[in-house]
Amino acid sequence: MMANTPNTATAAPVQENRKIRRFGMVINLDNCTGCGSCMMTCAVENNCAPAKEKITDRTGITLMRVFPVNDRQPMPVRQAGFVPMPCMQCEDPPCELVCPQQAVELDPLSGIVDQMPQRCFGCRYCMAACPYHARYFNWYDPEWPKGMEQTLNPAVAPRMRGVVEKCDFCHGRLHLAEDQAAIDGNDDYTYTPACVEACPTQAIVFGDLNDEDSEVSQLAKDPNSFRFLAKLGTEPKVYYYSEHEWRRNLAERDMNGNASRNEGKEA
Amino acid sequence: MFPFVDGFQWTFGHILFLTVFGMVVATMAVTLFVVIQRVLDHYRKDRVEHVQWQSDFHDLSEMDRRCRHELAGRVPRRECHNAFDCGECREHPKFEKIEPATTALSLEAFGLDFPADRLYHRGHTWVRLEDDGTMTIGLDDLGKRLLGAPDRVELPKPGDEVSVNGAAWYAFRNETPVRVLSPVDGVVVATGGPDQDWYLKVRPTRANPNLAHLLRGPEVSAWLRRELERLQILVGVTGAGAALADGGALMEDLPGAQPETNWDGVYGKMFLAP
Amino acid sequence: MTGTITKPAAIATVEKKWIVRGHERCSTARFMGWLAPWIGLLLLGLYATYLCFRYGLGETHLDNRFGFGLWIFLDLAVIALGAGAFFSGFLLYILKWKEIKAVINSAVVLGFLCYSGAVAVLAVDVGQPLRAWFTFWHPNTHSMLTEVTFCITVYLVVLTIEYLPIILKNRKFKSIPSFLVFEWELHKLMPVFAGVGVFLSFFHQGSLGGLFGVMRGRPFAFREGFSIWPTTFFLFVLSAAAVGPSFIILTTKLVEKITGKRLVKQDIYRVLAKTTGVLLTVYVALKSLDTLLWLNSTSIRAGVAPWEFYEFRPFGHATLFTEIVIFGMIPALLLLSRRLRERPGVITLGAVLACLGVVFNRFVMTIQTLALPTLSFDEFMIYLPNWVEYAVFGGVIAYAVIVYSLSYRYLNLFPQEMELQLAPKEVNDVSVR
Repeated sequence: MMANTPNTATAAPVQENRKIRRFGMVINLDNCTGCGSCMMTCAVENNCAPAKEKITDRTGITLMRVFPVNDRQPMPVRQAGFVPMPCMQCEDPPCELVCPQQAVELDPLSGIVDQMPQRCFGCRYCMAACPYHARYFNWYDPEWPKGMEQTLNPAVAPRMRGVVEKCDFCHGRLHLAEDQAAIDGNDDYTYTPACVEACPTQAIVFGDLNDEDSEVSQLAKDPNSFRFLAKLGTEPKVYYYSEHEWRRNLAERDMNGNASRNEGKEA
Repeated sequence: MFPFVDGFQWTFGHILFLTVFGMVVATMAVTLFVVIQRVLDHYRKDRVEHVQWQSDFHDLSEMDRRCRHELAGRVPRRECHNAFDCGECREHPKFEKIEPATTALSLEAFGLDFPADRLYHRGHTWVRLEDDGTMTIGLDDLGKRLLGAPDRVELPKPGDEVSVNGAAWYAFRNETPVRVLSPVDGVVVATGGPDQDWYLKVRPTRANPNLAHLLRGPEVSAWLRRELERLQILVGVTGAGAALADGGALMEDLPGAQPETNWDGVYGKMFLAP
Repeated sequence: MTGTITKPAAIATVEKKWIVRGHERCSTARFMGWLAPWIGLLLLGLYATYLCFRYGLGETHLDNRFGFGLWIFLDLAVIALGAGAFFSGFLLYILKWKEIKAVINSAVVLGFLCYSGAVAVLAVDVGQPLRAWFTFWHPNTHSMLTEVTFCITVYLVVLTIEYLPIILKNRKFKSIPSFLVFEWELHKLMPVFAGVGVFLSFFHQGSLGGLFGVMRGRPFAFREGFSIWPTTFFLFVLSAAAVGPSFIILTTKLVEKITGKRLVKQDIYRVLAKTTGVLLTVYVALKSLDTLLWLNSTSIRAGVAPWEFYEFRPFGHATLFTEIVIFGMIPALLLLSRRLRERPGVITLGAVLACLGVVFNRFVMTIQTLALPTLSFDEFMIYLPNWVEYAVFGGVIAYAVIVYSLSYRYLNLFPQEMELQLAPKEVNDVSVR
């Protein structure tokens, strides 16, 4: 398909001398306690407006979202856990393919799927196309109670009503790191997204998957690592790790006829 | 998308996309341009009335567009494709040589008066060629009865030009306007009116005026028979057409006799201005 | 809107000059009475639109999972039904089926209303309608939606151009010489626009199907296909072309019922019904084949067991059966049979089922696709539209009814109307072919 070639029409031409990164994550599900620190930090870092009264868990903006899961066994033996879901930063993003006005693009330098809210006109086709439900629509005007605007992060532009947004691995932090690298004249930089920093159990490992020696590359290759819905061919760059088989089995839908519905609610 | 937008790079997709849509938009633009050129051309050549007739003819139903030779029984079925301009028709001279096959209708039975010294236009006007080279135009007997006594008429002034199948004059009956078509081209030299037998006297604009489209001789009664049938259908549904059905004489003033009829619709059909 | 035949209805003198010569129309007061409730619905729709523009789409029941809801589903349905305009244009101007002339004007008006209505709803549905032009400035040539946007925009212009001569034929406008000459010349070149319309329609009806077929992340919708086009591309084109004539049958019959008049000859219904019958048969065959391929191969490779799609109520196996058999095979067979087509009731039934079929197909593709879970720990989700969504769409329906009523009253939508009004009843059914 034509769509499989990365769309470079509006991307800045890749300069040959610049390092090409593939930022990715490995989330250790065994370490996740479902505390929600990543969700909170994410919202603060990315200037997500406080939820209005009418907002439900289906209309809110949670660029990082922690889902409760279990192994669907009867109660006394049931095992439970949590799956934090940011954008999977697919290498072949279904959302980029469908956006009619190139408001979504895979950054050739960082491997991050960028969302340009200022170009988005809110058709929400990308939300329909994303199997990970990682995209969120601004159903209302973002508003901060008086005084709270002081808490806004100056490195990140708030999004207006009527556009789609999603996790972009804290591009505010990425830009700061890039700026600093330019000042230093050193292309060898990395950075840490807010959720990674906030996780009290250090369940999230972040880094450049292109760098063979990085911890994230090593972990991604671990036999206990997996990606969600790998059969769809979207090539996510967010990996999950678990030493428990039932958690690894969450990767794909059960094809054997066992009920596969989640009985719990989101955290 | 466009070369002047930042970071633009041509891809095959862009070229295909722009080419296809460019062609679609160009096709539409060229077509609209041609339409406007043709419109201006009609204005330049003063053919507006001609176009109006073409358009009206196009709007007539199939039943109203029968060839005069079908009516005269020279051909079983034939629809006119030349807007009743027999001078333009290739088949017309061939048909004209055939003897008409219909039995002539006795016009007297209906009390209709269609003198043989005239040529008849299908819009219910007649032309009489005068010795002095002018032509007299009048409303035929059926036309007269259809209008009855018009409230008023709007006639052209002497010196005005009338063109064939264009408006000769307007008549109004019960606030219904009727555009009476001119049977010939000409310059008006005198005007009559409903009180007289005739409406216009015209001097032909050309030395040899084209009169091929006008009905003459035995054709007239064949045509009139079809006209009465049409009228029968029209008033039969739009009003109570008792007089015709009984084969009785046609009333002098049809709208007066049958005020319930939608005469506006009838006029549109009978005077060929739908 | 019924007018009596013998007694001219009480139509205001000023209005009479606008009504086509010889057309019987109901009295001015009665017409106003007919319009009044629709104007009310339109106003309600406008109020709902205001709410969406003023307070954002949070006023609806759309959510992050159901980014597409009632509006997109109905837009797709309406555009498929509006295909009657392009398809009858194709039959009349390209294939030269003269009978279609009897309904082409009505079809063009319906097409215009369906498309303009759909675009109006889209303007409310998208979050930032003022940015819609970005698609022309930064088009993603890989996106099916880009193609849809381009085609629908240009096709709406084509439909406007096709509508224009019908409006200019109004009695009052016709008396203005320049309008008349323009109409005449435009009319003569209409086959060019009809051809362009067919080309554009073919692609955007297809791309609307492609919209779902390319969603790799949604195994329920994803289909493989040829080159860049998934099978849904072809199925959507075919289903739209198949039901277009049926929609014309239904709308014409409805107008006949409401006005109490005969507007077209019976044989035109038969021609249209046969067209639907043949195309729908081909569609059902291909759709069945596609369904088998998808259930047995495509979805399994995407990691979803086919039985799972129909595990979640209310979308059981009955959904698939209803779509393909009740709303597909049955109307196809009804309309395919020459003997059954002789009965007007069968034509109506077949047309209703065929139209319901395309609407149901668009519903399944939009709503079921989004309702079904993708991740293993996902939930199946239900979405019910709220009054704002219904009101906006109701407003568009009202707009369409009002414009169509005005068009019917003042324009010559059915050229056979006069003839049928005049002809004795038994002559009505004589074939013109």
